[in-house]
Amino acid sequence: MRNHAEKVDIVIVGSGAAGSLIAAEMSEAGKKVLILEAGPERGLNDLTSSQMDARRLKWSGVPVVEKGPQPIGNVFNSGYGTGGSALHHFGVWPRLHVEDFKVRSQHGRALDWPITYGELRPYYDKIQQEVGISGDAASEIWRPEGADYPLPPVPVFQQGDIIAAGFNKLGKSIAPLPLALNSRDYKGRPACLWDGWCDAGCPTKALANPLAHYLPKAKEQGGKIIHNATVTSILTNNNGNKATGVKYHAKDGTEITQLADLVVLAAFAIQNPRLLLASGEDGLANHSGLVGSYIMSHAAATVFGLFEPETEPYMGATGGQLLNQDSYDHKNKRKLGFGSYQWMIAQAVKPNDLLGYGGSNPALFGAKLTEFMQHAAQHFGGMTACVEDLPERSNRVTLSSERDKYGVPLATVNHSSHADSYALWQGAKEEGIEIFKAAEATTTWNGPLGPMHIMGGTIMGEDGEKSVTNSYGKCHDIDNLFIAGPGLFPTSGGVNPTFTVHALALRSAQYMVRNWSSLT
Amino acid sequence: MKNKQPPDPIREKKSLKISRRHFSQAGGAFTLAFLLGDRNINLTPAQAKTQKIPLQLLNPHQAALIDLLGDSIAPGAKAAGLSHYIDHQLSSTAPDNLLILKYLRVNPPFEGFYSSALMAFDKAINQRFAKNPAELTSDQMAEFITIMMTENPEGWSSAPPAPFFYFVLRSDAIDVTYGTMAAFDSLDIPYMAHIEPDHEWADRS
Ligand SMILES: Cc1cc2nc3c(=O)[nH]c(=O)nc-3n(C[C@H](O)[C@H](O)[C@H](O)COP(=O)(O)OP(=O)(O)OC[C@H]3O[C@@H](n4cnc5c(N)ncnc54)[C@H](O)[C@@H]3O)c2cc1C
Ligand code: SF4
Repeated sequence: MRNHAEKVDIVIVGSGAAGSLIAAEMSEAGKKVLILEAGPERGLNDLTSSQMDARRLKWSGVPVVEKGPQPIGNVFNSGYGTGGSALHHFGVWPRLHVEDFKVRSQHGRALDWPITYGELRPYYDKIQQEVGISGDAASEIWRPEGADYPLPPVPVFQQGDIIAAGFNKLGKSIAPLPLALNSRDYKGRPACLWDGWCDAGCPTKALANPLAHYLPKAKEQGGKIIHNATVTSILTNNNGNKATGVKYHAKDGTEITQLADLVVLAAFAIQNPRLLLASGEDGLANHSGLVGSYIMSHAAATVFGLFEPETEPYMGATGGQLLNQDSYDHKNKRKLGFGSYQWMIAQAVKPNDLLGYGGSNPALFGAKLTEFMQHAAQHFGGMTACVEDLPERSNRVTLSSERDKYGVPLATVNHSSHADSYALWQGAKEEGIEIFKAAEATTTWNGPLGPMHIMGGTIMGEDGEKSVTNSYGKCHDIDNLFIAGPGLFPTSGGVNPTFTVHALALRSAQYMVRNWSSLT
Repeated sequence: MKNKQPPDPIREKKSLKISRRHFSQAGGAFTLAFLLGDRNINLTPAQAKTQKIPLQLLNPHQAALIDLLGDSIAPGAKAAGLSHYIDHQLSSTAPDNLLILKYLRVNPPFEGFYSSALMAFDKAINQRFAKNPAELTSDQMAEFITIMMTENPEGWSSAPPAPFFYFVLRSDAIDVTYGTMAAFDSLDIPYMAHIEPDHEWADRS
């Protein structure tokens, strides 16, 4: 059964970080906005404090076929339902650095962004003021120019203090971790309670997830959202140069045609290119042949240790307490590899789950595991490096021969770390162990390479032959089809992506408003 | 770049030093809706085990193997109701599934993953020790686990790789043994729930 829904000004596919911000901005500008979200509706009351319950928030849409030596980790790295992955993201929000935008110009490798840090800076500043970031800009000696944070830094608990001593001993710098969560009450949202349940989704609104700010804002301005609405293709006119809307399937399977003047794909880095590739013979907006290419994922370098003093590892936010970016700028100056990384230090940690201390050392079992768990509960410490992944054309989303229940091919994602990114990850691990030893850890160990964040796949660029969209996320081939989210990144940098996702989405939304009549 | 001096770490010490146990006394428990006859009742997996709630998908032999191996890896997992937890999750729909396996590039349904691995476990133990798994001494079990965490033991076939199954079952066992409010208490750490687990599960029964 097919249905035609009432036409809207703008249809947004996905209700995560990017989709909810664009919905809020466009609704505020008076546009009739509809978000189609594949996953179920979730409210703050669904954010149960349990690492097991947290798994309900993860991707459970169509399967993704993962290939390559360093698979992308789609289910762990993606969310499903209201707020997308951003609903249970940890709110670590550093900015990209000046160099990140011009890696090709400066180093003759990787890619350039079509904008500079300077062009994005006002959007970073505006977003942080709007949602609240806690931090200490002056202590972040590596931070590019930008307004001070609107909230004081997050507190440091025992774990942070103990690990900080290792950094200090080796002459390395540390600063409070910039977190998009409230160290004080902010604009009607409460201060954080430092209980480390961010991975299960923060139900208090202390953390700036989509339910805390942009989705309510969109709804207040008249924006609508339909859940369990899986978009299966983007519709175009006969010439294929104008988007006319999307086709989606409702929960009961009904196929619905949703017409719109402007379409925004905000379905995250894998489903966006999948939809484009599945929507035209050679893929939609794929004149460059690059839809799906340059998929990236930060390599997480984890360092763990046990310490003599009590560390209170259960205290704080899941993202961590402190930051070090000594190995960030001058990407060609690393001991091993090429690129940037940062340390997120002293994450609040639970006993179970992939990120819990129980999972940190899989070789332990039996009585040794029991002993470890009891000791770790009070004496564990950890930190994670977010390691840059250089863009490779062969790391890409393609269509699989398998199809979902609506007949749409599944996404296959191939991912293999560039040799220099892998070496950078090795170097970070070694540095981490050195720091933990300096912090007088009694035992230290590393975890395996974990994929963290997904970026690329629909990269932005100046040249329509070498990229999918322009710097506003507008597809080079189709004026009224936009892409939003980390899929736009031509390089990954070594910082968490979501602050940049917000800054880019705000810039795109303002561009859409300014150019509405010529775009549509 | 400004201020090239390494900054002092922030020393804004929280006045929030938690009095342990304080937060976890509300009594929320990790309960799931188990089917008893034609009605759902909310029980912890441990209670489901004690009350001998019928298993939905696992057969008694598979459940016994899960408890045996799980408890050898994470002591306490059997009493915490590991086999009832896995059985419950195997019969829940993909979006509601809580098994860690969903993170690990295995697509649901997950039943075949566990059943084939358990069969391989049974066979490989028989081949190595000419005994049933339940008859192994604790040293023999430890010897076997030490092998399976790094390679497929001899006789391990038609199943996911043994090290992968070890990792998954270990994580499941840690979930039930250490991931609950009661377990936090026994580790002497505060749970500090915003929303206690049992509330939501009770609502969904
Ligand atoms: C555990 C975890 C921790 C993280 N922590 C951090 C952090 O501390 N800092 C940071 O910067 N980043 C972090 N991230 C990354 C961050 O969540 C993402 O970068 C961000 O959410 C991406 O925003 P997005 O809008 O592109 O996608 P999402 O937020 O994932 O939203 C995409 C939405 O699209 C929907 N969708 C997909 N396909 C369709 C379809 N066909 N039809 C309709 N809807 C569809 C999905 O269901 C989803 O809701 C974390 C991620 C995870 C998983
Ligand atoms: S630690 Fe803070 S941000 Fe995280 S869930 Fe708790 S209150 Fe929310």
